[in-house]
Amino acid sequence: MNCEKIMNLFQSELVVVNVGPKLFATALEQQNYKTVQVDWKPIAGGDREMQEILEVLGGLD
Amino acid sequence: MEVFVKIERGRYVDSLETLLASSVLNEQPGIEIGCAGMATDPGKDVLESVGLLTEELRGCDGSCYIIAARAESQDAFDKAVAEVEASLAPVSEDEEIEASYPTIRAAAEACPKANLCSIAVPGEYALGEVKKALNAGLHCVVFSNNVPLSDEREMKELAWEKGLLCMGPDCGVANINGAALVLASINNRGPFGICGASGVGIQHVAAILHEAGTGVSQTIGTGGNDLKNEVGGLMMLMGIDALEADPETKYIALIARRIGDQVLPGLLERISRCKKPVVALFMSCDQATVESAGAIWAKDLDDCAQKCLALTGQTYRLDTDEEIVARAAEVVVKLAPEQKYVRGAFSGGTFMDEAMHALIPKVGNVYSNIALRPEWQLADSQVSVKNTCIDYGEEEFTLGRPHPAIDPGVRKPAIPREAADPETAVILLDFILTPPGHMDPVGYVLSDIRKAQEEARAAGRELIFVASVLGTDADLQNVSVQRQKLADAGVLVCKTNHQAALLAGEIIRQKKERDE
Repeated sequence: MNCEKIMNLFQSELVVVNVGPKLFATALEQQNYKTVQVDWKPIAGGDREMQEILEVLGGLD
Repeated sequence: MEVFVKIERGRYVDSLETLLASSVLNEQPGIEIGCAGMATDPGKDVLESVGLLTEELRGCDGSCYIIAARAESQDAFDKAVAEVEASLAPVSEDEEIEASYPTIRAAAEACPKANLCSIAVPGEYALGEVKKALNAGLHCVVFSNNVPLSDEREMKELAWEKGLLCMGPDCGVANINGAALVLASINNRGPFGICGASGVGIQHVAAILHEAGTGVSQTIGTGGNDLKNEVGGLMMLMGIDALEADPETKYIALIARRIGDQVLPGLLERISRCKKPVVALFMSCDQATVESAGAIWAKDLDDCAQKCLALTGQTYRLDTDEEIVARAAEVVVKLAPEQKYVRGAFSGGTFMDEAMHALIPKVGNVYSNIALRPEWQLADSQVSVKNTCIDYGEEEFTLGRPHPAIDPGVRKPAIPREAADPETAVILLDFILTPPGHMDPVGYVLSDIRKAQEEARAAGRELIFVASVLGTDADLQNVSVQRQKLADAGVLVCKTNHQAALLAGEIIRQKKERDE
């Protein structure tokens, strides 16, 4: 397997996108790592049918 | 007592926050049982199981945030809800409000230096979020559990194709570039790269390396299901590739519990080609199998750390068998005639399994909620039988609450309950440190330990507590401080969970010998 991207990660400053509980981002910030928070919530309020419709329409990002 | 509810339509509170909110709710006066969460179908199942699903709540959907409790009065419920709300909103007014983004793509575009995505969403949504992160060029660490194996396979195949890490799902521990991710400990950097399918296993070996004065280059958690046939060990294989290619990694340690029969041959073949020394703790494999691949065989977690250290001419001082026998002999004389059994209360399955294996040769049968043999299964996890170990990380205890590593309250009732049994001689405990965890897990139970000891003394007994703490002195809670607090309370502190179990078992063995 080509490990180039993993070696890039190992040799770069770690910057974390956090999806889910802020607790994990806070723990990283306490260790002086930079984080970016995504305010995740279930699409269409968790409505499965609506999610499928959105997916078909290409509205899921 | 009557059920009271509060419903907020259109408000989303993430799963961990709702679990913590439930914990706060249940600690409030006048609340018999309570639950906070989104009114999803699984959420309503939890409410139904504890008798809180009213008709009004049944009609709510996943867009509703609800708090429900059986409470003494409306007033008690309202006060409890206010406490829950306060616990959810710790941001002070003068604190800078940080930017946040609606999607992974938006976050990655706004922060081009971002290189890793930490994902902890409900399992059914994990695949979608991991694909978005990988497609944005981000390596992933995925804490989400209950992810279908087919979803896990799909995300790892995509990661493989893109040359990106996908640690997890169900990954509890990883250390990348010195950062403790998810529930890892903070470790010194050093020449050992670890890749493993057991979070506590990785954390344990890394902590011993740290305490011995060396450290880890990177630790890659694969998630507990990676080595199943359905997933194919993709991340373990990628992890070996990565650690072999990494110039900072001089030695590699691999940790796995059960390895699928279709996965093992390929894994052994890859190890046999590895250009760096490999120590392998494969709990389901015998020594000859591991050595046939040219790896150094380790029999357990302590041994895995020792075999790593041996590669650099170092050792980590653990108590010898003779020292454990002598420590046990010092305290066994204090036990009253009726005190005969060990009661273990654990915050996770890996350590409980390890402890039960260490106990059995010394004490015989060990009953458990997750027993090693069907005939040792507890009928009721709240009622210990003879020698018993209970895993408080199991779903029956954590349903609607966070894991005990984050919320030690899950295990709190264990100490008074076991201490009240006059046949209890030894209470065996583990403590696990991690940045998102409780800031003083030992301090949290010290008053319970002291009270139990006092009550036992008043009844003419002496309760013996034996404990270990997993973590490092770089952890925010500092393992040395936590151990000292235990020692100051008269607890027998051991350096590892295995040694604590050996000591507890030896005390019981000597007591039985004395009684006979």
